[in-house]
Amino acid sequence: MRRIAIALFIIVIAVVSAAGCGKKVPTIGISQYGEHASLDNCREGFIEGLVDAGLTEGKDFKVDYQNAAFDDAIASQIAQNFSSNNVALMLAIATPSATACYAAAEDKDIPVVFSAISDPVKAKLDSGNVTGTSDKLPVEAQLDLIRRLQPEADSIGIIYTSSEINSVSTIAEYEQKAAAYGFTIMSIGIMQQSEVTLAADSLISKGVDCFSNLTDNNVVGVLPSMLEKTREAGIPVYGSEVEQVKIGCVAAAGIDYFELGRQTGAIAARILKKEAKASEIPYETISEYGIYINSSALEEMGIMVPSDIADRAIEANN
Amino acid sequence: MGNVFDLIVSTLTQGLIYSLLSYGVYITYKVLDFPDLTVDGSFPLGAAVTAVLLTRGVDPYLAIPIVIAVGALAGLATGLIHVKLNVRDLLAGIITMTALFSINLQIAGSNLIIGRDIDTIFSAGPTMALLGSFSLIYRKLIISIIIAVLFKLLLDAYFKTRSGLLLRAVGDNSVLVTTLAKDKGSVKIIGLVISNALVALAGGIVCQEQRAFSITMGTGQVVFGLATVIIGMTLFRKLGFVKGTTAVMAGSILYKSCIQAAISMGMPANLLKFITAALFLVILVIGNQQKGGAKKNA
Repeated sequence: MRRIAIALFIIVIAVVSAAGCGKKVPTIGISQYGEHASLDNCREGFIEGLVDAGLTEGKDFKVDYQNAAFDDAIASQIAQNFSSNNVALMLAIATPSATACYAAAEDKDIPVVFSAISDPVKAKLDSGNVTGTSDKLPVEAQLDLIRRLQPEADSIGIIYTSSEINSVSTIAEYEQKAAAYGFTIMSIGIMQQSEVTLAADSLISKGVDCFSNLTDNNVVGVLPSMLEKTREAGIPVYGSEVEQVKIGCVAAAGIDYFELGRQTGAIAARILKKEAKASEIPYETISEYGIYINSSALEEMGIMVPSDIADRAIEANN
Repeated sequence: MGNVFDLIVSTLTQGLIYSLLSYGVYITYKVLDFPDLTVDGSFPLGAAVTAVLLTRGVDPYLAIPIVIAVGALAGLATGLIHVKLNVRDLLAGIITMTALFSINLQIAGSNLIIGRDIDTIFSAGPTMALLGSFSLIYRKLIISIIIAVLFKLLLDAYFKTRSGLLLRAVGDNSVLVTTLAKDKGSVKIIGLVISNALVALAGGIVCQEQRAFSITMGTGQVVFGLATVIIGMTLFRKLGFVKGTTAVMAGSILYKSCIQAAISMGMPANLLKFITAALFLVILVIGNQQKGGAKKNA
């Protein structure tokens, strides 16, 4: 027993020395679910949003940034760490981090600000000392864009992870709205990343006219290999945000995560300045979306871009 | 320095809750000598069932025996596949784990979140009546201690029963069991049932504590379990009077503490697993050296 006690004591000391520093500058604990271009953009935008609101890093706030490398158990430990350190505010990027932060803040009055969550209501983040921004996809704008670029197309293939709350609710919206634009949705739900390319093969063999992506982590993670297949088959793939277009999707009506982050930063600034409590600020959905195109991918697929779209579209090509 | 104290409390809580999983892995890996991969499926199974029950308004305490029963069924499946269908131990676990992936999704529908308006064992009426004067993190700690110690004592008591002794004999010397005219197959099944019941219970408590079920929460739990068992056994077991269950409980706390220390020190998360691996190696090497030293002394 004594050895156990000694070992535990050593750990306690280690944790104490690591965590013990209590300066007056309020700390913002940023918990990001993993490293991922869109989520990184979101975080960088967040800092800029704070700076825009007149706050200076180092003077008005400091940042403790942690990412969970897509591991839920670590996301939860990060959240508890923030809670124990009594951070002034938690920024949680992506749903698993947000639910973990909100759970860790349960008995404390630490405001939680989230970003990059499609459905805050389903994630039970719509009441309490919590607010943030939703990255709900502009589904109608995307359907409209596909219709304009491929006037002849009938069906859209979508691959999504059936366990992701975000993806399931977006698929429902696609199915509900597709008919108005003359499309049928052919969707395949997958459980693991390794199934994405199999699902793509299956949809290609069923003869879909194009693919449209969600912000589904599993699908986005293996997008390059999926694009290889679709390029061979001559089927265009539409992305859901700028990073996907950069790596070879033809176009996207999507949100700009940097902007989303900036909007989130503005909310956080109000809380830090004590202008409002998180519980008093309703979550915001980004209303602005951009149209992003990848000219070389479009050309490869033989798609002509109507001039009005070309005028407002932003070229995203690496 | 209240904040540091809080951090220690919540880390201890994590270690204690996860020690239920470690007990489970201890039974299969250490006692039965059965590498059971069912764990990656039965852990989220416990969480999925808990999340569904709680969101449907079932009493959070009642969820505990239900989760234990469901986990036992998962262990029973692996046991039957292995013993009755003669499938190798590793494969039997893989088959159940794979099936559970779908079953878990079927049970929960998708990732689920338990809203704050729903009571968990940490906030329900009876808990508040007894521990209402403590803040939530202390209630969590106290309940985790109760659960972890209760199941440790139950297991210790079980190992002294006839059935428990047979279980240990199967791992050490299965011929002996056969000569005692006992069926070692059914003993293995009992071990797997108890083990996975504990693992599912761990998943259920984690779900109540974090108010969330995610389909990916099982990934890596076998590895965690094995690591805690080996750390615990290496560091503490050779002290003759420390029971195996106590050793793995300490292993679990140590493991979670190492991760929390790494996070607190601002280690980049992408390196966390590597650091964990390095710590693991250091502990094993130290353990081995001490073992060598002990032999020389003797």
